Amino acid sequence: MSEAEESSSYPPIDPVSFDLIIVGTGLSESIIAAAASAVGKTILHLDPNSFYGSHFASLSLEEITSYLNSPPKSITAAASSSDSDYAVINLIQQPLLSDAELISCDSVDESTFLLENSRKFNLDLGGPRALFSADKTIDLLLKSGAAQYLEFKGIDTSLVYNANEGLVNVPDSRGAIFRDKKLSLKEKNQLMKFFKLVQQHLGDNEDGKISEEDMESPFVSFLEKTGLPPKIKAILLYAIAMVDFDQENGEVSKDLLTTKDGIDRLAQYSSSVGRFPSAPGALIYPIYGEGELPQAFCRRAAVKGCIYVLRMPVISLLMDKVTESYKGVRLASGQDLYSHQLILDPSFTIPSTQSLSPKGMVARGICITRSSIKPDVSNCSVVYPPRSLYPDQVTSVRALQIGSNLAVCPAGTFVLYFSTLCNDADEGKKLLKASMKALLSLPVSGNTEIILQSDSEDKKAVVLWSVIYVQKLTMSKFEAISSTPTPDGNLNYNDLVDATEKLFNQMYPDEEFFPKTTSPEDSTDDDDDNGIIMEN
Amino acid sequence: MATIGHNNLNAKLVLLGDMGAGKSSLVLRFVKGQFLEFQESTIGAAFFSQTLAVNDATVKFEIWDTAGQERYHSLAPMYYRGAAAAIIVYDITSSDSFSRAKKWVQELQKQGNPNMVMALTGNKADLEDKRKVTAEEARVYAEENGLFFMETSAKSAANVNEVFYEIAKRLPRAQPAQSPAGMVLVDRPAEGSSAASCCS
Repeated sequence: MSEAEESSSYPPIDPVSFDLIIVGTGLSESIIAAAASAVGKTILHLDPNSFYGSHFASLSLEEITSYLNSPPKSITAAASSSDSDYAVINLIQQPLLSDAELISCDSVDESTFLLENSRKFNLDLGGPRALFSADKTIDLLLKSGAAQYLEFKGIDTSLVYNANEGLVNVPDSRGAIFRDKKLSLKEKNQLMKFFKLVQQHLGDNEDGKISEEDMESPFVSFLEKTGLPPKIKAILLYAIAMVDFDQENGEVSKDLLTTKDGIDRLAQYSSSVGRFPSAPGALIYPIYGEGELPQAFCRRAAVKGCIYVLRMPVISLLMDKVTESYKGVRLASGQDLYSHQLILDPSFTIPSTQSLSPKGMVARGICITRSSIKPDVSNCSVVYPPRSLYPDQVTSVRALQIGSNLAVCPAGTFVLYFSTLCNDADEGKKLLKASMKALLSLPVSGNTEIILQSDSEDKKAVVLWSVIYVQKLTMSKFEAISSTPTPDGNLNYNDLVDATEKLFNQMYPDEEFFPKTTSPEDSTDDDDDNGIIMEN
Repeated sequence: MATIGHNNLNAKLVLLGDMGAGKSSLVLRFVKGQFLEFQESTIGAAFFSQTLAVNDATVKFEIWDTAGQERYHSLAPMYYRGAAAAIIVYDITSSDSFSRAKKWVQELQKQGNPNMVMALTGNKADLEDKRKVTAEEARVYAEENGLFFMETSAKSAANVNEVFYEIAKRLPRAQPAQSPAGMVLVDRPAEGSSAASCCS
């Protein structure tokens, strides 16, 4: 619907007083909306955008292009408020995303194709993202009832990149180890022996436990002790335990994963493999993109009475003149609304208070291609371990390729997401470009002929469109006015879900985070099956 | 989306339209045979299912209600995604609600599922003396846009079952792979032990 026309016809929001007002419909905000609604809080959930999801949205090609080219500007207060009983403080919005670099190929046919199919793309702003089938986000989706609005598909294959062999499979199950053509018999045995060691540790028998001392030691030292070759070590550390920073370079290693955490991650990965019969690998991805996740939680909240208003910026805060405590918000429409507590999406800051301290950044990239990076595979994840692209690469790069069977792009195309942690934009973008070039043929601005003629490039998937941008990272903050965390640099949502649950518990210490209800769906239907389980 | 198995069809059906047009009332009448004079805005119930027998097949409608998100024009796209059928509801005593219905038709057409069965429904047909939208006007619009049209009254039950029955008849029996079929997560314990399946 056309935004301007629609917003002018808004009725005033009724009622005017709530337990909680939430600004932004990112995943964290949406989970809190659903959780607080479930325990009976009255909530108003606002978003200045015309779409759900904030930094977790999935957008059409046109939407993402205009969003990245013109990040939200801070809105200045329209009306002054001499008659107000409250001190009015303007809210400042600082875009989390910056340094966007867009490239599209020169082919007129392809540009027309992209333009005509813009709405068939659902591109994740916070990608690459996927869920482990056995991770706590799945539990949360089930517990909250949000899962019934979502459908998933498995990521077919997990791959790891190395400079010599290119893409190799992550040997993540006994079958995969046996089938692997790139592992030597010796390597297979070493790997099987290691997995057996882990299995014994996780078992009930006290004899098989790994010693306390080893558990507290760095995982990388433990792996060295077991004598695994470097290639296998890299796979375990970066493609299964999903470690971000180089573990074998003492000078740059920011944090070394302990053996305990390493084993936990291995166990999560392993129990994810085959948890759902139709998803053979460890990872699953929502049909229509990650933006479905916040929408599902918002729908849960709406069913419990939460009021939703998109395209409605909050321009200022209303503070008590004497106590200086938070009282309410003023909307762009001029309406004043009141609540006990307020949650702001992390792009908002309040002047005079300490702004959220940045915790580094994550560089993200998206490519649209005409062919898969791996023949006969549509959906796959890729890890580029530290030093796999160039010697001073200190962080892992994660990538995810999603095909049209997940309804994120038109038939015959693929979407690839890339991300890596970085200290500054140049470093992050350099690394992402290197990881793209390793697998893809990127358009050279102004000259497509070179791509077509180059022999070495002819097997690589040709990129039709790509973008690279940098996102600030901040943590959540609990106060009378709380902030939710930004999307983090991880592949899954576990840390984000933990931070969100913690924020909820700080806000509502006496309430349970999604109490068990008799029925997850409030259907008054006499037929008790709430979802269709599709045939494999 | 519509999925088929043994002459049984599962179809997601969504209702769209202005607040107060009677979306929930139509569903309640169809599913439970009830009508409440002062139906509250939809809160708490957002998911119904009802099975209809049509000729040699049964159609199980999975009916999604708006959960009130249309009140400030903030319906999530997930709501109408993958829907096999949509009922666009307006109130025959409100021209505004008819204009809004047309916008919903445009929005659904932009979503671009050519197989979606769309019904335009002028509700509150029992309030003839307050009518603002003529049946003729709506019928012409519906024909031009490939919808079928009926006037209904959730209060008197007139034409309510007929709308759903007509949709059931029109659902394509051989649905091409338009919407990808995925899996719905169900709560069952992880198979096997928590120990590495790498090794089991």
